[in-house]
Amino acid sequence: MKVISVNHLSKSYSVYKKEPGILGTFKSLVSRKYETVEAVKDISFNIEEGELIGFIGPNGAGKTTTLKCLSGLLYPTSGQVKVLGYTPFERKAKFLNTISLVMGQKNQLWWDLPAMDSFLLNKEMYQIPDTQFNEVIEELSKLLEVKEFLLTPVKKLSLGQRMKMELIAALIHNPKVLFLDEPTIGLDVVMQKNLRDFIREYNRKYKATIILTSHYMGDVEELCKRVIVINHGKILFDGLLSNLVKKFASYKRVSIVLEDAINPRILEGVGEIEKYFFPELVLQIKKEEANKILSKIMKEVPIADIRIEDPDVEDIIRDVFTSEKTKI
Amino acid sequence: MNWSAVKPYLQVAKNTWNNALTYRINVLMWRFRMVLQLLATYFLWLAVIPSNKTVLGYSQSAMLTYVLASAVVSAIVFSSLVGEVGEEINKGDLSNYLLKPVNYFAYWLARDAGDKAMNICFAVIEITLIILFLRPPVFLQANVLFIVLSIVAIIMAILLYFLMNFLLGLIGFWSSEVWAPRFIFFTVYAFFSGGIFPLDILPKQFFIFFQLLPFPYLLYFPIKLYLGQLSILEIILGFLASAAWLVLLYKILQWGWKKGLKQYTAQGR
Repeated sequence: MKVISVNHLSKSYSVYKKEPGILGTFKSLVSRKYETVEAVKDISFNIEEGELIGFIGPNGAGKTTTLKCLSGLLYPTSGQVKVLGYTPFERKAKFLNTISLVMGQKNQLWWDLPAMDSFLLNKEMYQIPDTQFNEVIEELSKLLEVKEFLLTPVKKLSLGQRMKMELIAALIHNPKVLFLDEPTIGLDVVMQKNLRDFIREYNRKYKATIILTSHYMGDVEELCKRVIVINHGKILFDGLLSNLVKKFASYKRVSIVLEDAINPRILEGVGEIEKYFFPELVLQIKKEEANKILSKIMKEVPIADIRIEDPDVEDIIRDVFTSEKTKI
Repeated sequence: MNWSAVKPYLQVAKNTWNNALTYRINVLMWRFRMVLQLLATYFLWLAVIPSNKTVLGYSQSAMLTYVLASAVVSAIVFSSLVGEVGEEINKGDLSNYLLKPVNYFAYWLARDAGDKAMNICFAVIEITLIILFLRPPVFLQANVLFIVLSIVAIIMAILLYFLMNFLLGLIGFWSSEVWAPRFIFFTVYAFFSGGIFPLDILPKQFFIFFQLLPFPYLLYFPIKLYLGQLSILEIILGFLASAAWLVLLYKILQWGWKKGLKQYTAQGR
């Protein structure tokens, strides 16, 4: 079942520019220069029920804009968006009851009140029965280890604790479609892992459809089979994470443990030396010529051990974004 | 109306009340300011009108009642948090509500209810203390009809003020400069609503013009109803004008809200 379909979605904003300083302020009062920024340009994709998708892109790529269009916050400049058959911007109650958007940098909790007060408010808004509410709070607060802070005013919580409370607030109504924008921001390594486990479990248990954006490739690598790579408002890649590696990794990493020291000169023209610190040698070689080069290395270099692998996903992604010439 | 549809808004009002309590000193200071203002106007008129004379059509007792009543009615009508709407739109906090099955207007009405409840409590205590200590010659309305009419007028005033304030907040969709228009608005309504003095002591042509504006119906009109100083024609025209403004502002608000949402950029991250 198709849960999300996006057809030729574009969204542009008009923003005005102001020069810094008092002079700039006066200038902007008299004549204001507006600029149209195309945050998302003609993107299309479909998502099936129960998929957990990673949305990858550098800052300002259009990830959050896309999520905002999907959750009904933004009115698309053009194109069509459907979520569970609803047009998000109409914001029908039934639609809103089944989705949730968690933004790592945004808070919905009442700053001066304990998180519990905000939870209670959400309970009433989503009309959740007492028993279900208590269960969810019990389960989530235990899992996220914030049970003892439920009655502490939000302003007194640490960033991580607050982030967890935000997550609980966003999940009280048990949404079937979940948009997570940087959910692990500000969490320590242990908590990041807990949260990942939780997201995976939530996806499995409720067959929830989840779109996740994150700066931490770790989040995406661990959770998502399918990824959508976006930059400058356009989709660069949509498919399995493993295919992304195949498609974009232009080189292989060869890690060698040497028997004897060598003169790195002999490797000139063979590949790029990433690291040479005897006895360790790491080379990057072109994928197409891998076989040829490898046999050459075998002949000329005294090898104790050799390992050939694909580069890290993080490196691949970075290469994709920095060399925008790459065409699909 | 069904109960579960109202419950979230009760919770909003409750949270607003609790929220205000976390800033106790703030609330106290704000009320202190209101009392000072009230006392200043009170003693001014006490000095201007001798106890057995009528000045500008007002006896001392009528004027002092007007001043005290205006303190109570202001606390009811003008205590409002809706001024935050513009900022909320600007900062992108509006998103939180757009994502939930909640009516944003009803949400703010509920917040205002919580805030008004707090302010009314204080105003009642203050006025009681003032009456106990200063023993002013307050005029008590005996005619129930006038009391009922003035309560209806106050409810209309609350809605009128709510709509005006909300409309100003919508500016946030188009501009980040939501404070300047609000500041002008504060000054305008403080004067034109009759909060400083009753409007009918002004020259007639000004007074007639002012009555075409929505402002007199915020304060002046309900108080005059309570005092029983309006003719039947004035009462009918007053309610008609107030109702017309309500409908007009509501229509503009709906239109502006729809337009604004299409513009909305959910900024802030």
